[in-house]
Amino acid sequence: MLGEALKRRWKGLLVFLAVMGPGIITSNVDNDAGGIATYSMAGAHYGNQLLWTLIPVMLALVIVQEMSARMGVVTGKGLSDLIRERFGVRITVYLLFGILLTNFGNIIAEFAGVASSLEIFHVSKFVSVPASALLVWLLVVKGTYRSVEKIFLFACLFYVTYIISGFLAKPDWTAIGTSLARPSLDFSPGALGMVIGLVGTTIAPWMQFYLQASIVEKNIAVRDYKHSRLDVVTGSILVTVVAGFIVLTCAATLFKAGIRVETAADAALALKPLAGRYCSALFAFGLLNASLFAASILPLSTAFIICEGMGWENGVNKRFSEAPQFYGLYTLLVFLGAAVILLPRIPLFRVMLISQVVNGLVLPVVLVFMLILINSPKLMGAYKNGRALNVLSWITVAVLAVLTGAYVVSLFA
Amino acid sequence: MPPENAQMFLYLSELLGRPVVAAAGARLGRAVDIKVHLGELYPKAGTLVLRRRSEKKPRSLGWAHVDRLDKRAIVLRPGAEASLGELEVGPDEILVREDLLDKQVVDTQGARIERVNDVHLLLAHGELRLAHVDFGISGILRRLGWLRALDAAWRWLFGAPIEEHLAAWKFVQPLASDPKRNLKLNVSLRRFHGMHPSDIADIIEELDQANRSTVFRALDTETAAETLQEVDPKLQLSLIETAPPEKASDILESMEPDEAKEFLSDLPDEKKDRLIGTMERPYREHVEKLLKQKEGTAGGIMTTDFLALGRDQTVGDAVEAFRKAFHPLETVAYIYVTDEERKLAGVVTVRHLILCGREEKLGALMNDRVIAVEATDDVGAVTDIFNKYKFLAVPVLDADRRIQGIITLQDIIQETAEEL
Repeated sequence: MLGEALKRRWKGLLVFLAVMGPGIITSNVDNDAGGIATYSMAGAHYGNQLLWTLIPVMLALVIVQEMSARMGVVTGKGLSDLIRERFGVRITVYLLFGILLTNFGNIIAEFAGVASSLEIFHVSKFVSVPASALLVWLLVVKGTYRSVEKIFLFACLFYVTYIISGFLAKPDWTAIGTSLARPSLDFSPGALGMVIGLVGTTIAPWMQFYLQASIVEKNIAVRDYKHSRLDVVTGSILVTVVAGFIVLTCAATLFKAGIRVETAADAALALKPLAGRYCSALFAFGLLNASLFAASILPLSTAFIICEGMGWENGVNKRFSEAPQFYGLYTLLVFLGAAVILLPRIPLFRVMLISQVVNGLVLPVVLVFMLILINSPKLMGAYKNGRALNVLSWITVAVLAVLTGAYVVSLFA
Repeated sequence: MPPENAQMFLYLSELLGRPVVAAAGARLGRAVDIKVHLGELYPKAGTLVLRRRSEKKPRSLGWAHVDRLDKRAIVLRPGAEASLGELEVGPDEILVREDLLDKQVVDTQGARIERVNDVHLLLAHGELRLAHVDFGISGILRRLGWLRALDAAWRWLFGAPIEEHLAAWKFVQPLASDPKRNLKLNVSLRRFHGMHPSDIADIIEELDQANRSTVFRALDTETAAETLQEVDPKLQLSLIETAPPEKASDILESMEPDEAKEFLSDLPDEKKDRLIGTMERPYREHVEKLLKQKEGTAGGIMTTDFLALGRDQTVGDAVEAFRKAFHPLETVAYIYVTDEERKLAGVVTVRHLILCGREEKLGALMNDRVIAVEATDDVGAVTDIFNKYKFLAVPVLDADRRIQGIITLQDIIQETAEEL
């Protein structure tokens, strides 16, 4: 019956809307300060040359995020929880320490984003950074974050401006087509570092922990997994499309004009075809939103995964006295991250890029752990990886490892 | 080496990895685990699990074959090599490292979930027993090999050692780390029984799905019902769905009919019908009647837990009916009196039952100016009546003035609280 079919369709949509969220939110947080800086610099300094890398990056992102989501749904446990139970305390402590440092780099980058976006409005970083750190800290500790999350998410519509600006800048579409069809890469440290940065910012290690934790928190049943998968795939494609347009727009404007991106004001010029002389304000708004959004999530998720792995009480519904390690770590990450940005003469955009390169270097390690876990029949049962998926994901790890090795060698060569 | 009958404590982390040596001195392998039979207060570790470098499968050996613990090695009695066997884990047995170390357990005394950092063992009279579980940071440091150095630093700084956090085994409830093994641990989930339902609910909320349903299924019916009502509403459905239908309906039956109805109305039809089908008769009829009522009306929030007697019945009959009521009544403030056609005629309060003689007729005692609502009335109208008359409960009638149920003050408070 037509009515029946329609009803079933409708019901499917409702389930999807209920399950949706973790994937889309993770993707939007993924386009954080570090992301915007890295994509802008990739476009401004290398033109369309690196645009093609985003296609394999998108495939890898889909594969990796799908695995995180699947592990979350099937095991009902977070990634650091699974790592602790499978690999024991020794490996867990050292791995989590590495993740802590990497994420701390990302947190610094978010405050760098806050500082550089508000510099456009001539707000000193000595005002903007402490104020935003306090704001973020209060949002989470006072438990108002959930309601603000929707505002952050809505403000992510800002990325649409890059798509419009990209078209208005009238880029050379044939050149873009050739670059996509005929990939090229020179093995200079700069280009290699940029590629690793692009990978590291798009497939950041923290995302895998964060995504799996949000899926677990949502209590998604195994039978609704296919909806969760759709959520994750949609989010992954969305984030890469936005990334692609940032690179492309910056290539068509900044690269053409020979502008090197060192500050937010430079990067903002990419939005000139759309917003004219208001481009700086528009860019500053977008960067500020992205930075604050990620600055609220990153320290929280870092404190959460560390406490989960170590077996300490965690969660914002606990009081300070119940979860001292959790709140202590969270507070330390927020205020120490902000303090680093207050160092005089710190190059803000460079800091953002470097944090993303570190992400890229740590990523293969996290992926190896994920792959071992997701292939455990004891843990995943019928939901463990298939052969094709395993081949693809090990190729991803191998390519990343080769890139990382080549980069390290090129640095010292 | 201490004499045979001396007691000594040692940590699992100190035992694991030690070489296992035959009496003659030949090396047989390394200790990788110990197997424990649960059930006793301080369960005995009857089996040592060891692994040879050249073999993939671990071997097991009865602890009775262990002669002594050397400084570095586990030394066996003569002839122990012949007793090396294959490792089998029976029901009610766990491998301490595989199933307990690094896993989450419930600390039933503190009513929270903890992670096992180390296990404290007691070696006495040649027997190895599980004594405590280490939840503390010192357990982590011990396993990382940093404890000695950091403890010395701590003492130097603060004048006291790093505090240990040990819990006696009798307060530790292990959970299943592997969903397929859940059944096995079922038998040993008894420790939950002493806990308060709201504590159990907090713990269930933090568990993963597989453990959640195992723990929930292990609870007795009454505790399960109370826990279910305390748990986050988003989880209630999945919990009751994982329970076997027989048990699920038992759990529902130990709730008030209107609470059970709230539950059922959220379930898919098929599941709902199956649950109702397995309920006992009088309860089932009540719930079915409640489910037919429309949301947002008086009928939708009423409960069928009330007492109604005929005009000609006596105070004695009422007291008797009270005793026999199939369920502890939600509200005992009023007893309703009906006429020959079972229409509502009046109301008698509990005061009457206490103060009047057993032989007096209800018809003579009752107050016949009863304020009632109809099942189709809007909830708002019912709230107004409660505001105006300050009743503890109001009867709900059908079109023929036959009593269908009552709405209690509690129901109204709940309803208005949900709107806020």
